Amino acid sequence: MMPIYQNGGFDYPVAMMLATLLGVGFGFVLERAGFGRANVLVAQFHGTDMRVLKVMFTAIATTAVGIGLLSGFGVMDVGKLVIPETFMWPQLVGGLLLGVGFVISGYCPGTAVVASASGHVDGLYTLGGVMVGSLLFGFVYPLVEGFYEAGDMGRLVFPDVLGIPWAVLALAVALMAVGSFVLAEWIERKVSAKQGIDAPSDPPRVRNRTLGALGAVAVGALVTLAVPEPEPAAPKAPELASLSAVDLARQIASEPDGVYVVDLRSPAECAKGGGVPGAMCLPADDASASFLATLPPTRPLVLVDADGAGAVPPAAGRFAGTAYRVEGGLAAFQKDVLTAPAPPTEATPEALSSYRMRAALHARFTGAAAPVDAPMPTVKPVQRAVKKGGGC
Amino acid sequence: MNPTYHKADWNPYVAGIALGLVLLLTYVLMGFGLGSSSAATRLAVAGVSVVAPDAVADNAYLGQYVAHGANALDDWMIFEVIGVLLGGVLAAYSGGRIKRGELLRGPTTSKATRIAFAIAGGVLMGFAARLARGCTSGQALTGGAALAVGSWVFMMAVFAGGYVAAPFARRQWR
Repeated sequence: MMPIYQNGGFDYPVAMMLATLLGVGFGFVLERAGFGRANVLVAQFHGTDMRVLKVMFTAIATTAVGIGLLSGFGVMDVGKLVIPETFMWPQLVGGLLLGVGFVISGYCPGTAVVASASGHVDGLYTLGGVMVGSLLFGFVYPLVEGFYEAGDMGRLVFPDVLGIPWAVLALAVALMAVGSFVLAEWIERKVSAKQGIDAPSDPPRVRNRTLGALGAVAVGALVTLAVPEPEPAAPKAPELASLSAVDLARQIASEPDGVYVVDLRSPAECAKGGGVPGAMCLPADDASASFLATLPPTRPLVLVDADGAGAVPPAAGRFAGTAYRVEGGLAAFQKDVLTAPAPPTEATPEALSSYRMRAALHARFTGAAAPVDAPMPTVKPVQRAVKKGGGC
Repeated sequence: MNPTYHKADWNPYVAGIALGLVLLLTYVLMGFGLGSSSAATRLAVAGVSVVAPDAVADNAYLGQYVAHGANALDDWMIFEVIGVLLGGVLAAYSGGRIKRGELLRGPTTSKATRIAFAIAGGVLMGFAARLARGCTSGQALTGGAALAVGSWVFMMAVFAGGYVAAPFARRQWR
């Protein structure tokens, strides 16, 4: 399943090796695009050679079509891609400033590296400037911190915003790119003629074949729309692991804040008491139950209803950590924890230790005096959800 | 012949497809895209850390690169940009255009003027890239290809800023 590193396909040293190899590809292409020369890059803004736009938009369309194709066939999980988050205002202003810096220096940071690689010292001076500018940002950060965080919209991608499938949007991007190329080549001819120089003379045959192939793949990617969507991970009644009332009591006794406990009865019933101490009351059909899906998965989620047979909020199925429901519900909690256990009828070590543990739990939850010889239960906490993510 | 022509340059549309495939491969393998400006930031942070470690560690922004005793240079981006440098050398050498020490500038522009422009533009970009959380590589290309809204806003702003400032910056090419 892609992306491979995010899915644990290889470890850090291999990732660093691939970083260098992918960088070699990146640098090689940038240099061969002509981006190691400042006069080529700024010609974009003078209108005499608009290959910055051509290379960049072709690349964006290629990658977008590729992602649409791979995710459409279900081999890549777009949700796992780390995509730059949207902070509207700093990105708008940062973009304007970077554009100004681009035409002043003649490079952007990446192309300055490639310029340096081909021996152009203006690239090195630019890189030195970028380093100084980064430090400058760090030292004025307290003044701009509020603006830096302004317009935070999180991971915001057009397919979600517009509700249009990836493959369709990728095709739209490809068509938009081709439209912009027609315009760019028209501008190149006009401006060059005015300045008495030759317009760029890249053979149209290569352009037509290249963009034709890209367009064909983009149109072909539309077949992924016929691929059935995988069933959403939240069916009506999510399958939850079950947890016995005694195990829940042991967990609460050892670490009261180590677990989220949700009482699914109606608020009126919750008010009558007899529930699990510390539980939040949230009926299964309550609209606000959807927040269960957004709880941080740092602790397990435990649902308890009257008898263990009631409805479970669908949001519990989307909880990122481990979710349990209590077997037999509150009835079991009443019977096994809140009721004093009967002394064992046979004196096997297992029966005795089980009795002692339940007697201790009964004492802990009802305040009744514990039998003198009852040790506090030795507790094995419910397995914690493993923290996800990390890596980059 | 257009003044920016060079025989080793690829057709821009072919170069675009190649660039797009490198980026797609990066997404497939790693789950994130390409970048460059933060490598310069990390290098600067590492440099200052040698001279004045406390100035970096106590800084609310730069301190994150060395938090919990991290080495600012032990990062994917540094390895990637080392690759960019190698790839650039390889491409320039095989294209027969290693120009050792060449300072690109207009015929009537002094070296000092061009150097001042290069540094000033660099400083501005370094600041802007940190403000926008990425540059043309990490934000416009990488985020744009993943159809991120903020990255498209950034990209349009870069072109807008470039077109507005281009007439004023053009004197260095005369």
